[in-house]
Amino acid sequence: MSLSRKWRILVQSLTLLGFCWLFLQTEYRGTDELAYPVSLLFRLDPLALVSAFFASGKTDFILLWPAFLLLVLTIIFGRFFCGWLCPLGSLLDFLGAPLRRSQSRFSGWPKFKYYLLSALTLASLCGLQLFGLFDPLSIFLRSLTLAINPVWNLLANTTFDWLYQAKLPLISSTADVVYPFFRDHLLAFRQPVFLLTILTAFVFLAVILLERLQPRFWCRNLCPLGALLGLCSQPSRLQRTPQSDCSDCKQCSLQCYMGASAADSSHAAECIRCLDCLDFCPNQRVKFHFSKRGEKRFDLSRRTLLAASVGGVMLAPLAAAAPLSASYRNDLIRPPGATGESEFLRRCIRCGECMKVCIGGALHPDLLRGGAFSLWSPVVVARLGYCEYDCTLCGQVCPTGAIKSLEIKQKRQIKIGLAVIDKNRCLPFARGQECLVCEEHCPTGKKAITFDRHKDLVESEARDLLQPRVLKELCIGCGICETRCPVAGRSAIMIISEGESRAPQGLL
Amino acid sequence: MLDRRQFIFQSLRSACLAAVAGSIPQLILPRAVYAAQDRVLVVRTGEDIPQLVRQTVAALGGMERFVKPGETVVVKPNIGWDRGVDLAANTHPLVVKTVVSLCLEAGAKKVQLFDRTCNDPRRCYVSSGIQQAISDLNSIQAELVYMDRRAYKELEISQGKAINRWSFYLPALEADRLINLPIAKHHSISTLTLGMKNLMGVIGGNRGMLHSKIAEALADINTVIHSDLTLIDATRILVANGPQGGRLEDVEVRNTLIASPQVVTADAFASTLFGYQPDQIETIVAGYRRGLGEIDLSRVQRL
Ligand code: SF4
Ligand code: SF4
Repeated sequence: MSLSRKWRILVQSLTLLGFCWLFLQTEYRGTDELAYPVSLLFRLDPLALVSAFFASGKTDFILLWPAFLLLVLTIIFGRFFCGWLCPLGSLLDFLGAPLRRSQSRFSGWPKFKYYLLSALTLASLCGLQLFGLFDPLSIFLRSLTLAINPVWNLLANTTFDWLYQAKLPLISSTADVVYPFFRDHLLAFRQPVFLLTILTAFVFLAVILLERLQPRFWCRNLCPLGALLGLCSQPSRLQRTPQSDCSDCKQCSLQCYMGASAADSSHAAECIRCLDCLDFCPNQRVKFHFSKRGEKRFDLSRRTLLAASVGGVMLAPLAAAAPLSASYRNDLIRPPGATGESEFLRRCIRCGECMKVCIGGALHPDLLRGGAFSLWSPVVVARLGYCEYDCTLCGQVCPTGAIKSLEIKQKRQIKIGLAVIDKNRCLPFARGQECLVCEEHCPTGKKAITFDRHKDLVESEARDLLQPRVLKELCIGCGICETRCPVAGRSAIMIISEGESRAPQGLL
Repeated sequence: MLDRRQFIFQSLRSACLAAVAGSIPQLILPRAVYAAQDRVLVVRTGEDIPQLVRQTVAALGGMERFVKPGETVVVKPNIGWDRGVDLAANTHPLVVKTVVSLCLEAGAKKVQLFDRTCNDPRRCYVSSGIQQAISDLNSIQAELVYMDRRAYKELEISQGKAINRWSFYLPALEADRLINLPIAKHHSISTLTLGMKNLMGVIGGNRGMLHSKIAEALADINTVIHSDLTLIDATRILVANGPQGGRLEDVEVRNTLIASPQVVTADAFASTLFGYQPDQIETIVAGYRRGLGEIDLSRVQRL
């Protein structure tokens, strides 16, 4: 293995591990403020920058300057991010290796990603942000959060539990000795559970399995970030010579796994600076140095490009023509500090950071609550988890400002929804049984759930019952009542979106 | 905070202990029996909390009466809520710390603290100040731990009226001694939350389900979990919006500690701080009927 190859594997492994480490730190660890910039990956993400830029409201350059820096570096050095830093790219290199076939005649559609990028950009310009669905960094972190981490925790915990119970000689005691290390450093505090685990895992697996068709299939054909970086690398002076195949040798176009070399220099934007050609060139002719770039550029069909852009433009009104989710349903609850719904959807890059960090397990990826294009954006599912009164973590990790970072005092004032009681299910109303679990847990200081004393005849026995009542001005919609209501299945008290702080209309 | 080495050492140590302990078959007997000579009560007031705790325990005959050298002790404070010390939702950290010191001074081999919290346990342990208080003790014999989900077990409640089976946290039952350290607070369904209710923190299951028959259910649970000493923190009490409060207006400073070997006896006196007669509180009545202490304070020996 050549030196450059070794270096690259080292850098790739270290960045991948680094991002995984940041992922593990995306968790409450005893202080209200997170100690590390855990969402660094997305602050580096030019697609996040673009979507925040197109959204209404001001772009948070304080958050997103690293993405800017990456663009500048790409202009100078080319598409090195893909070859050296991108965690999804590295994963494809590592996991894809055993899947690849030695000779694949599949030539791919390298131009497709540019069309996709232009469609996504135009859609985003017109108000419909879909970058999040295709952003490789989002795919990576989302899969980690929603699928890989929960499965890892489940497997590890089940194994440890089983060994703990089975009391196998030697093995069990060893497991019990290493367990605290796993528990404190590698496993989540509580078993993570999320909606959409299967869908997310499916997308992730598909991206990996495409390696079978072609190495780095995703990067070569689909990745909009790759396309954007490729375009930005056009002026780059760090060039490979020869800029096209030599007439006496075709090794470059045969062996380059990005298909960056051809009979002319037209594929140069595909080069991810992996430097492998330094190694496989039989004549040691390849050099990377600063020089003028070849004349021939990537040849995108104007017509297709136009079609893709028009497609992107058309998608936006298509989305806008659908009825607003708020006009026919009330279960769309966004995290505290979320911006108004349309700005939120344009900013949220679907990275899943907020869901990872949520201490109460309240945040889940959306499927349809916010309309067809809110897929994977965070919603509060209060039956599964509640928003912890004094927590401000989701605002701290959001890389695009879709969820604003709040001071604890502000956070306590924010209404994310309103609790309503279903008297057909609530125990004191429906069955004449004492309960008030919701009242017990309500965190608002002066409780937003009070109760009325009610004399009731239950099974011909007079009873003095306490029946809960929500004080709508005090309720902030944190959802702990819905989470803790002891009624089976659907809760007898539910959070609806009425009166949420971010919407213009107040309480009825 | 513990430093890392200390922390790793402690983790390893507890893991080894668990491994050893796990290999010995155990017999668990429901054992909440309170002797008649335990019908005693100590009430003390004072502003210096550590001193107040020491006086109160000394009046009962000192911690040596409850904890013998080499014994393992579980101290169960209320750490249920993500609230700061001044809001009176959790047991005062100085009360907890001093009690743990007393146990160690009496020769306890190990003192473990935990609570099944209502808010996120990590936040509760930090906000309550108890995590800091215990790490300030700087003793590897005293540890505040998170509940281990593997250590719950369903047990028969032989004297159960409202419930016959429930899941209990074994380390609380298996320790040689259990010291119950509640804080006195208002609670809408059970009127007050005191010693009997505090032991809800060592049971598993869906605790919300118990609310519909809270008095008898609490008595049932208390017949299984025997505490050797109940020390009620009434240095400040929460008189409204309990059990988690959140407003300083609802906190009253009382500088009082109440202690008794019998949980109901301690609870009975504590109820009077809120202006109730013990027999107005259903939980206390139910506990009294099960023989968990005395409800008639005139029949209690005050020390
Ligand atoms: S939803 Fe609430 S509990 Fe979850 S991270 Fe955001 S602020 Fe914290
Ligand atoms: S917790 Fe549920 S069942 Fe109980 S009083 Fe509240 S809404 Fe009703």
